[in-house]
Amino acid sequence: MFSAEIVGAWIAVFLTLAIFSYLYRDNPFYKIAEHIFVGVSAGYWASMFFWTQIQPNLFGRLWPVLHEEQTLGILGKAWYGIYNFLHLLYRPAFPEGGVATGHGMQLTYIIPLILGIMMLLSVFSKFSWFARWGIAYVVGMAAGLRSYGFLNSNVIGQIKGSVIPLTGDISTGTIINGIILLIGTITGLMYFYFSKEHKGWFGKIGRIGIYFLMISFGASFGFAVMGRISLLIGRFTDLKAFGGADYHHASIWLLVIMVVLLGIWSFFNKEEKTT
Amino acid sequence: MKKLADLVIKLGNVDRRWIFIIIAIVVMYPLFKPLGLPIRPTESSQEVYAAIEALPEGSKVLLSCEYGPSTKPEIHPMAVGVLRHLFENGHQVYVTCLWPDGQFMAREALEQVAENEYNRTYGEDYVLLGFRPGNEAVIKGIVSDIRKMYTIDSRGIPIDDIPMMNGVKNILDLDFIFSASAGYPGTVEWVQLAADPTGIPMSTGVTSIQVNEVMPYVDAGQIKGILAGMPGAAEYEALLGKTGIATSGMDAQSIAHIVIVLFIIFGNIAFYLERQRSKKTF
Repeated sequence: MFSAEIVGAWIAVFLTLAIFSYLYRDNPFYKIAEHIFVGVSAGYWASMFFWTQIQPNLFGRLWPVLHEEQTLGILGKAWYGIYNFLHLLYRPAFPEGGVATGHGMQLTYIIPLILGIMMLLSVFSKFSWFARWGIAYVVGMAAGLRSYGFLNSNVIGQIKGSVIPLTGDISTGTIINGIILLIGTITGLMYFYFSKEHKGWFGKIGRIGIYFLMISFGASFGFAVMGRISLLIGRFTDLKAFGGADYHHASIWLLVIMVVLLGIWSFFNKEEKTT
Repeated sequence: MKKLADLVIKLGNVDRRWIFIIIAIVVMYPLFKPLGLPIRPTESSQEVYAAIEALPEGSKVLLSCEYGPSTKPEIHPMAVGVLRHLFENGHQVYVTCLWPDGQFMAREALEQVAENEYNRTYGEDYVLLGFRPGNEAVIKGIVSDIRKMYTIDSRGIPIDDIPMMNGVKNILDLDFIFSASAGYPGTVEWVQLAADPTGIPMSTGVTSIQVNEVMPYVDAGQIKGILAGMPGAAEYEALLGKTGIATSGMDAQSIAHIVIVLFIIFGNIAFYLERQRSKKTF
């Protein structure tokens, strides 16, 4: 009668209505949903990262499953001795014989392992300085990785894009659009040039740039509203579906129960009421 | 006139919860009683459709799912629509995920389209490579050597045992990228690290809030068209001639926009009248 799908629907409806209840005022339903969200998110991410990255990509490269014909020297045996110890501690993450994810042994992965442990040491104030090494690596790597892409796509690509073709098979509308885009780009950039005081002709150009920025902010606001309404539609569509007989009218029952309970709660907590 | 001004000022100071209730009613009503408002595809949506339509039969297309349950109403219909278009035209689809939730979204979309609607074979027509953490590093990995990033797919099948992975070493062996993105990492990273450096054509579908960020890449020709939020998804459904959840949500979207615009106008009038009155008082 109550399958996992139906139970899931009831939970989804409860959490949706609990979050919506904040629109009335801060209340225990909202707090329950908020705490569940934070806890589940943290647990989900930690678990997901361990099982999709650390276990297969790190441990899978440090201690891969050995082929039958492979023989280990003294150092190799000592290395797999560490693994056997870990295997005794937690078998699901360290299955017998090695981690089978198709990787070969790559001992250079000891470096990220050490950096990762150093990052974790930040929880101890005495050893927190160790974390700087890991952070320095992450910042340096990210900066290097992004710099080329950013220069290529956001600087060169965008400059190319603002070049207006005035000849060839191009409509008048495209040319006008291109000119407006070029004026917007130049005046917008001029507005952010602070080495010269924004007075006279330079101030006027900067002012035109402000208008372009205002139009851009207006468009952003419009899109933000559109996005939020889309998400609201998504939740209402689910509530409508879960209000059907297939789900034992979960939306209707929970809405009625929560409204009644919120009413009682509000009656006894009038002093906290906000206007 | 004074009475009318008093009424406008009074209504302008109404408890915000009344506004929430009105928005809830206007969004809910069209979901129960569809109005059937027309949907006209914009140029940017048509560009996405044309780019996929132009691919020769049997092309290898990478679909990257970077969204989760919170942005599902906007992005999921796009992923479903694009999958329908790709399978309709007989392409092979490689699905990757830069967001952990994306894997579940992709699985749901593939189950609906590849298995139920088009009866495609896993490993021959489509593959769900799944989620890998690492953001930009994952894209770089796919660009340089896909096997360094994925040794197994989302079902635990070794990559070399999947027929459609034969001959696919890196992104240069693919013909098209479509990023269904709700934020970082997503469309911008695919442009910067995959599409621009390799020249592989790319299209995208993004949340409404991202449109302003991504549009410059579309204007510059770095991305071929864009599906902008739920309207973009509905327009794509209209182009495909297959209505879905995005189309059904567009009535509510349109009515809600009208009401919000009216609220903004009304709020500004009330603010103006109140300010005029306070100036007179002092």
